[in-house]
Amino acid sequence: MAKASAAITSSSSAEYFSKNLQQVGFSSYTKAALTTIKEAVDNSLDACEDADILPEISVTVQRLGEGSGKGADHIRVCVEDNGPGLLPEDVVKVFGEYLASSKFGRGRCSRGQQGIGISAATTWAQLTHARGALVITKTTKMRQAIKCQVEVDIKNNRGILKEKESYDWDRPSGVSCDFLIDARIQMQGEGGLLAYLNGVTLVNPHLTLHYKILDEDWVHIERIENTVPKIPEPTEPHPHTMKLGEFIAHSHLFGKTRVSAWLKTGFSRISDGILKELKEHGVKSSLLERAVSSLSQEEFKFIFMGIQKLKLMAPSTKSVLSIGEAGLAKSIQRIGAVDFFAVMSRKPTICDFKPVLVEVAIARMKDKGSEEESIALLRFANRVPLQFDKAGCAMTKAVVSVNWKAYGLAQPKNSLPLGPYIMAVSVVSPFIKFKNASKETVDASDELVEELRRALIQAGQRLSKHIRREVKEADLEKKRQHIELFAPILVDGACRISKAGKGRREKALEGLAKILGREAHLAEKELTEAIEHSEAALEKLAQVTGVLPAVQEEPEEQVEVGEQMSLDGIEEKKSKKEKRKGK
Amino acid sequence: MPARINVEKLSVEMCEKLLRDLERGKRPVLEATKCSLDNSLYNPKVGYLTPGDKKVQTELNVSSVKKMSRTIFVLELILRNIESGANNTKREVYYIAKGEIKHNPTLKPLDFEDQNESDEIIDFICEMMECYREDLNCFANDRGGQTYSGQLIVEETMPDGDKAVIDLSKLGTAPFQPKNRPQSLKLKARKKIDFCLIVESEGTANTLVSSGFTKRNNVILLGAQGVPSNAVRGWTKLIQEELAIPIYFFGDLDAYTLQNIFRTLKAGSAASLIRNQDFSAPDVKFLGVLPEDIKKYDLPDYAVKENDATESRALKKARDALENDPFFQDKKNKGLSDILKWLLKNKRRCEQQSFFSVNPRDPLMPEKIILDKIKNKNFV
Repeated sequence: MAKASAAITSSSSAEYFSKNLQQVGFSSYTKAALTTIKEAVDNSLDACEDADILPEISVTVQRLGEGSGKGADHIRVCVEDNGPGLLPEDVVKVFGEYLASSKFGRGRCSRGQQGIGISAATTWAQLTHARGALVITKTTKMRQAIKCQVEVDIKNNRGILKEKESYDWDRPSGVSCDFLIDARIQMQGEGGLLAYLNGVTLVNPHLTLHYKILDEDWVHIERIENTVPKIPEPTEPHPHTMKLGEFIAHSHLFGKTRVSAWLKTGFSRISDGILKELKEHGVKSSLLERAVSSLSQEEFKFIFMGIQKLKLMAPSTKSVLSIGEAGLAKSIQRIGAVDFFAVMSRKPTICDFKPVLVEVAIARMKDKGSEEESIALLRFANRVPLQFDKAGCAMTKAVVSVNWKAYGLAQPKNSLPLGPYIMAVSVVSPFIKFKNASKETVDASDELVEELRRALIQAGQRLSKHIRREVKEADLEKKRQHIELFAPILVDGACRISKAGKGRREKALEGLAKILGREAHLAEKELTEAIEHSEAALEKLAQVTGVLPAVQEEPEEQVEVGEQMSLDGIEEKKSKKEKRKGK
Repeated sequence: MPARINVEKLSVEMCEKLLRDLERGKRPVLEATKCSLDNSLYNPKVGYLTPGDKKVQTELNVSSVKKMSRTIFVLELILRNIESGANNTKREVYYIAKGEIKHNPTLKPLDFEDQNESDEIIDFICEMMECYREDLNCFANDRGGQTYSGQLIVEETMPDGDKAVIDLSKLGTAPFQPKNRPQSLKLKARKKIDFCLIVESEGTANTLVSSGFTKRNNVILLGAQGVPSNAVRGWTKLIQEELAIPIYFFGDLDAYTLQNIFRTLKAGSAASLIRNQDFSAPDVKFLGVLPEDIKKYDLPDYAVKENDATESRALKKARDALENDPFFQDKKNKGLSDILKWLLKNKRRCEQQSFFSVNPRDPLMPEKIILDKIKNKNFV
């Protein structure tokens, strides 16, 4: 054997992450600011939901001067919430210890999963400004809040609590965390702070958010839903979401329980009926009556494969959280002035053995984007905006794969469609397959892309009703202009050739307006029908969601405008023109 | 020749009706003869394609208001021309219209993108009034029809009433060029003329003249220069009417020549249904090249290139003609449709110049073959 060259040492996870912060979202100064805010906000939202509190979060970002690193600014990021607060012993773990989490592997659709993010932010602060996170926390049971500084003991992956003191805080509970870091602030663009903050408000209708970034004014976004989403408890595992090894491992918890009882209680969606079917597929009753612990590998495999062949109910909706079409419909209007929109909430389904729920919201904006620009695609995984590495993401691939021309949007080949639209795509699942630890991209498996595609197509169909209406309106307007353009030329020419007088000319013009007006009326009727059609669709949607989107009010206005412009309008304009000419 | 159509009167009537309809809130309709093959009739006793009952109706609506406005606009320009006696080509009318529009911004919406658009309106007016373009003082270029003869005398009455007499034997090597308005010409023969020969290629016609064809024979020889223009068609008709001599057409053996050139000369075309009466010569015979000539004179023919777009289109047209063209369907023209069938079957073609290959050392060989064919009634 070769001589050992160097001693094999093991290092703490903190050591690993502190050397590889780029893997968890700290690869550049701009990303460092965004990730810090994002991790703090995610934690606050998760905590509020756990404690059934309506979240109210405020974010402040200040530039204090030049940073210690080259090209960096010295930035202070402060995130405050009204959540349940943290006990002092938990503060150290949350902010100062890697992989210390209440959420790891729970099978719930929480934003945070592993317990890496906020500790990484503390590490970043420590590395760039030699000071960890400054935390104020208060639970309802604490008489006074505690203010302290948390640092990461990188060698041992332990949190260190420093300068702990009691603090008078004017609220029943909450956490405030303060980071002094090297960073750069990018406001605009897909990777900008605004995109993140807008995204968070979009998928969290129950959130009230205040933010002040650099020298900008405070922005206050009020919640539009007053119930805290019920974070579903994880259900028993669904047999179709498991692999054989997991299936066998799962049995170890059940010891001498009978196999039939194990299957019925240890898994979701297995009933007596399913067991009967299983028997029809060749699994003997005697096998189902044996103790779980007595089964051989082969027997486990036989049962497992038998179950895989059966058609089971989809995993319970309870384990995946849905924002809901109502929530999305209300929330999308907080992003800006919306012309019209369409939302689509799919039923939960299984992609790659995991329950997944896909939701889509598409809105045409009045003041953002243009016909020539690509649409703004917002991606969300478990209600967290994804802002980087768009190209590799399952959601982008799904959007590109849809033929948007069919729904009235322009779309260059193999690209995102064009137009002043915001397209929000959300994937919620207890187990999202991210491509990397910083949760920037969702792995594009065929099944997931197909599910996303279906949601997008359905949303596109809903959207196209609005677009068709717009096209019809434009059509009507064009017809009117066309008539106004040619009518006098035609009549004047005919009058000159037949040497007809002024009186006949006016009468002919009147008649012409009537004839062509009739046609305009026809077009108007079509338009009204189109509007009614889309109204009915909206109403149906409203019944489902309990929301009446703003677009509901618009058709009336448009019809009014239409009527003013109609026949009388043309005639009036014409007679005015004539009068002018007459003079 | 029919009495000249009174365009002014028709125009006023049309505009009167248009205004009347408008005043009553009724949609005016402009009606024109449908000029297409599916509205073409062929009666062998009449000899040319005549229009059927089909009409194209343009009802005033959002999509036709532009065409109607343009029609009235162009009509006004033409009426002005007729009044002042000015003549113009279609292209000139196009520029006159452009000029009017340039100087009158309210007319801007009528503006023509290219000449096709204004031509379409002029044709529409003709089809509507069932008149000739020449009646609108709008003339095409007098292409083709260069005529040589030692016996023919042409007498022309000019618009101002003056008369001119042209003796074609006095023109030397220069040809006589017929005008678009054969109505104003009278023909006389100083000596009995045996026949008239129309040669597809202007160049070949020239060669025949320079080798003395018109000196040796009492004939009228004219070059068609491809698809016969209105001038050539009207001129041939005039020769048929006034001189009553046999007329032969000598051209290539291919689908294009037979359908586009020869059929137009003999029976007019579907696009010009309303003018075929004065612009076709039903007595003209197809002298060749005939399919049997290839064998008889051992002429060099060659295969039709089916991958050539123009040639494959000609073949397709020939197939269509056999199915839809009343001229080729009539049994009186069986000889001609048989040639088309032969062409479609054999996919070969033979040019008229191949006669020069029969005896390359004898420049008079083509003439000899032509005379031989006429003598032996070897034509269709």
